Order: sequence, then C-alpha cells, then structure tokens
Amino acid sequence: MTNPEVGMLMLGLFIFVILLGFPIAFTLIAMGIFFGYFAMGTRIFDLLVTNTADVMQNDVLTAVPLFLFMGYVIERSNILDRLFHSIQMAAKNLPGSLAVATLITCALFATATGIVGAVVTLMGLLAFPAMLRAGYDTRLAAGVVCAGGCLGIMIPPSVLLILYGATTGTSVVKLYAAAFLPGFLLAGLYVVYVMARAIINPKLAPKPPELDKPLPLGEVIWAMLTSFFPLFILIMAVLGAILFGLATPTEAAAVGCAGALLLAACYRALTFERLKEATYLTARTSAMVCYLFIGSWTFSSVFSYLGGHEVIEAWVKSLELSPTMFLILAQLIIFLLGWPLEWTEIIIIFVPIFLPLLKAFNIDPIIFGILVALNIQTSFNTPPMAMAAYYLKGIAPPHVKLTEIFAGALPFVFLVFITMAVVYIFPEIALWLPQKLYGN
Amino acid sequence: MVGFLLFIDRLSAGVGKAFGWCMIILVFGTCYEVFMRYVLRAPTNWAFDMAYTMYGALFLMAGAYTLSRNGHVRGDVLYRLLPTRMQAAMDLALYILFFFPGFLALLVYGYPYAMTSFMIREVSIYSPAGQPIWPLKALIPLGALFMLIQGLAEAIRCVIALRDGAWPQRLQDVEELESAILADEEARARLAEQQVASGAAR
Repeated sequence: MTNPEVGMLMLGLFIFVILLGFPIAFTLIAMGIFFGYFAMGTRIFDLLVTNTADVMQNDVLTAVPLFLFMGYVIERSNILDRLFHSIQMAAKNLPGSLAVATLITCALFATATGIVGAVVTLMGLLAFPAMLRAGYDTRLAAGVVCAGGCLGIMIPPSVLLILYGATTGTSVVKLYAAAFLPGFLLAGLYVVYVMARAIINPKLAPKPPELDKPLPLGEVIWAMLTSFFPLFILIMAVLGAILFGLATPTEAAAVGCAGALLLAACYRALTFERLKEATYLTARTSAMVCYLFIGSWTFSSVFSYLGGHEVIEAWVKSLELSPTMFLILAQLIIFLLGWPLEWTEIIIIFVPIFLPLLKAFNIDPIIFGILVALNIQTSFNTPPMAMAAYYLKGIAPPHVKLTEIFAGALPFVFLVFITMAVVYIFPEIALWLPQKLYGN
Repeated sequence: MVGFLLFIDRLSAGVGKAFGWCMIILVFGTCYEVFMRYVLRAPTNWAFDMAYTMYGALFLMAGAYTLSRNGHVRGDVLYRLLPTRMQAAMDLALYILFFFPGFLALLVYGYPYAMTSFMIREVSIYSPAGQPIWPLKALIPLGALFMLIQGLAEAIRCVIALRDGAWPQRLQDVEELESAILADEEARARLAEQQVASGAAR
C-alpha cells in the first residue's frame, strides 16, 4: 500500500469508528498515533506532545473559555424574562408582535450566550406558551423559537467563528466583521417573514389581549432601559472593541465576562452557587472543545504527512467542477454531516479537509466560513437530528407534536438557504465591513 | 466497586473544578491589563502569558472531569439506539484499543518533554517578563495521568454494565441548563402519569 492509500484508510477507519459512538477526540488521537507510528515511527509521540503544548498556548483559543463563561453567566442572570417582556411591549404595534418580540429576544440573548440548547429551552418555556395562549399557530410559534435560538452561533461574537479562525488560520477579527451583516440579514429575514405571514393571515398570529390596551410610553422606555439596553450595550461594547481593534477577542471577552458578572449582580442573580455552576460548565465545555483540537491537529498532521490531502485534492480536481459547483458540493457535504455530528466536530475536523481545496478553487476562506456558519444553523432544525426541535418538544405542552415543530422550522431553514445564496452571489455583504475597517 | 468508581470521579472532578477557577484569574487578570493599558497607559508585560497559561491549564486539567461526566462529545446517532450491553462491549474494546495507548503516549513522552523544559528553566518567548513555561508543560503528563485514571474507571464501568445490563451511577453535578430543564420536565410528566394511574386505580 502506498502512503496516500494508507491516508485514505485512516480517514475511512476514522469515520467508521465515529459511527460506533466512541468519543471523537480520543478516536482522533488514536488514529493519529497508530498511522503516525506507521509513517514516522516514535516521532509521532513527540508530535502528539508538542501538539498538546501548542493547543495549550494558542492565543486564539484562549478566547473560547471566556466567551463560554460570559454565556453561562448571562444565561443564569434572570435577564431573559424582563428582556422578553420589555421587547414585547416595545413591539406591540407590529404585526405578529409576539413572534417578532420572540425573534428579537432570541437574537439578542443567543448572541450574548451562544448556547443554542439553553436559548431554545428557556424561550420554549417563556415565549412558546405565551404565543400559544394568545392563539398563535403552533407551527409558526415553534418555528420562531427554534430558528431564533440558533442565531447565536452565527452572529458575532460567536464561539463558532473563533474555532473556525483557529482551524483555518483566518483572522477572527475579520471573520467577526464579515459575519456581522449576514447575521443581521438572516435575523431581519426571519422578522420580515413572520410579519408577512401575520399580515397575510392575521389569524396565525393574533395580538394578545393584555397588550391591546395603550401603554404609557415612559413605562416602555423604563422597561427597555433596564433590560434590553444593558445587554445590548454589553454585546456592542465587546464586539466594537474587537472590530475597531481596541482589544483582542480574548481581552474583549474578558471585559465582557466582567460586564456579565456586573449585570448578574444588578439583577440580584450573582450567587456563589451560580458562579460555581458557570465556572464548572466552562471548564467542561472548554475541555471538550480543546481536546478535539489536540486530536484534530495530530490527526491532520499525520493525514497530510501521508499525502491524504493531495489525494482528495487530485480527486476533486478530476471532477472538473466549477468553483460554484465545488462550493455547493462542499456545503452539501457539511449540511449532511450535520446529521451525525455536532457543529464543533464539523468545524474542527472536516473544515481542514476542505481548506487546501479553497485555494485551488480560488474561494475566500472568510466567505466560506460565513457560509459554513449559516449552513450549520440548519443542522439544528432539519430532521432527523434536529436538536432545537427536540429541545422544544421536551418542554412543550404534550399536545404539540414533533412533526408540527419540524414543519414550523422548515420555512426558516429555507430562509437560511436564501441567505446563503444571497451572500454567495453578493459577497460584498460579508466582505464590505472587513474591507472598510481593515482594507485589503 | 461502585465506591471506588465514585472515588475516582470525585478525584477527577476535584482536580477539574480546582483548575476551573483559573477562569476567574483569566477574567480579572485580563481586565486589569485592559485597564492598565487604556486608563493608565501602562500595559503589563505578563498579561499575555498569564492568559494562555490559565486557559491551557484550565482545559487540560478539566479533561478527566469532563470524561467523568461523559462529556467528551460522541457521534452517537447509532450508539444511543443500541442496548446497554452492546454499548458497553464496544466502549470497553475501544477504550483498550484507542484510549489507553494515546494517553499513555502523552504520559510517557510528555514527562521528558516537561523535564527538559524544567532543566533548562525555559521561559516564555512572548514577553520580557520571563514567565517560566515548564509548569504549563508539566501539566501535560499530569493531565494524561488523570485521564488514564478516569479512563480506567470508565473501562470498569463498561465491565459492570456488561455484567448487569445497566450503567452504574455517576456523581450528581451541575448540568447544562437545557439538560436540567428537560430532566425536570420529564420528572414532572412521570409524576403526573403516576397520579393519573393511582387515581384510576382508586
């Protein structure tokens, strides 16, 4: 067997073992050292150790635990009820006001926490029953919660883009700048879609009776000042500091953590118990993500040593695809990978396989990253492994069927595809802001 | 035996949680640097090294804790549908074949790597503060050791599950909010069902 063939065997065996359900980080490390021992003898063990040390000293990944911690603190800060209530009051004159308020709350809260499951379950307990009580169509209400809850992995500052930056060597700052407008475009499309549905058929989204009475403007402003604006300003400060180059993502995230702790203290939610919870969850999630990096770097250095990347590159080139065809194929593969895998593994393990091909097809890795981030939104909402739908089903009243949730989320999945197409056709949407801020 | 397993769980959790508090140093150390740089115009020369050191120590030493919570992500689409004994048999084989060699290598080769760094009193190349780098490198074999101990506990769990047809218990610990909420809902639904059932019996 030639080396590249061994490389292909390595990849095939890895995919097989993943399907057996063994922890992926360990599978990657094992494949790396077995095949590495075959290829380069005991030097592979030194490589494993230096890779571990490199992951530990990676200054891009340093931001990961910080953003996770900020998310866990905000998640536990009792802000969500107030936030939803005040946005509901502010949006009350819009068509489909409750659904619009849900989307905006989701977008803001998800951006701040970045934890999909938590946003969907919390909003599923808060906004979903409120919409059903008001007489909303079950499907529409379910779709709004599922789609809105996933926005946080796309809209910066998101952990997904940090991992993508660390994997591909792309600047996280540029990725954040590039993701800004597409993220808002997607959220905006969601809102427009919901309002359009509500205008065409008001029965789908009736106005809740308790909001039909006029509210004193002062009350609305006060509610917004004490819930919406603190969180909004916190996110914008973190993001602004990063985008305008005032601070590295790590520094901005650390200040964001301090801000989140302050916010939690103001809402009287900062107990030692909650601080412990946030700290321990951060430690566990960081370990999960970063051990994947140790495995992935070891695996892919052996894979490319064996010449595996060249085989894939030669094979893809032999297909004689146009760049557009290649991009569609790549996105389709990532879409399908969303079924057995979670987004962390897709970004850390499979994106490096596509990476050398991007250069061959002359595709900007930043645009590719934005498309991947959009694409991964759908993996939470497409059956059979629609995690967002399962979370909602788990907490929804028993009469809500899983199929109704799937059906409700489907239009939003199409909106994601539309956004991907728009960003591909008009890459300026993503690239304008980074070019404006940093030149070429 | 279960007592022994829970002892190992507690050990891993203790280590992981202790290093988890690096988080607080990371947050406030970095905030201090930002404050010094922008307000007092006197940036520190240690903050950069401090940041990655805290992050590296935090995640590496939480590895065994995460393993004790079954928190290392699996592609479990098929796995979760399998009967417990089948899961245990596969896991046991894969722990022996795939887990132990990797972390044994990290332990055996990590030790001289850290020793060399210690012998030459290696310092960080990123700043003039001269922060020693060997403590961070020393964590590599140490972290691997804790991983191996916890991996042994996981392998024993597989053996017990093979024998009993059910996974042995784990320690109670904080869970992700969505898992906690979903578990609550399930418990409530079960309680309601029982009440209905007992009402029907009456």
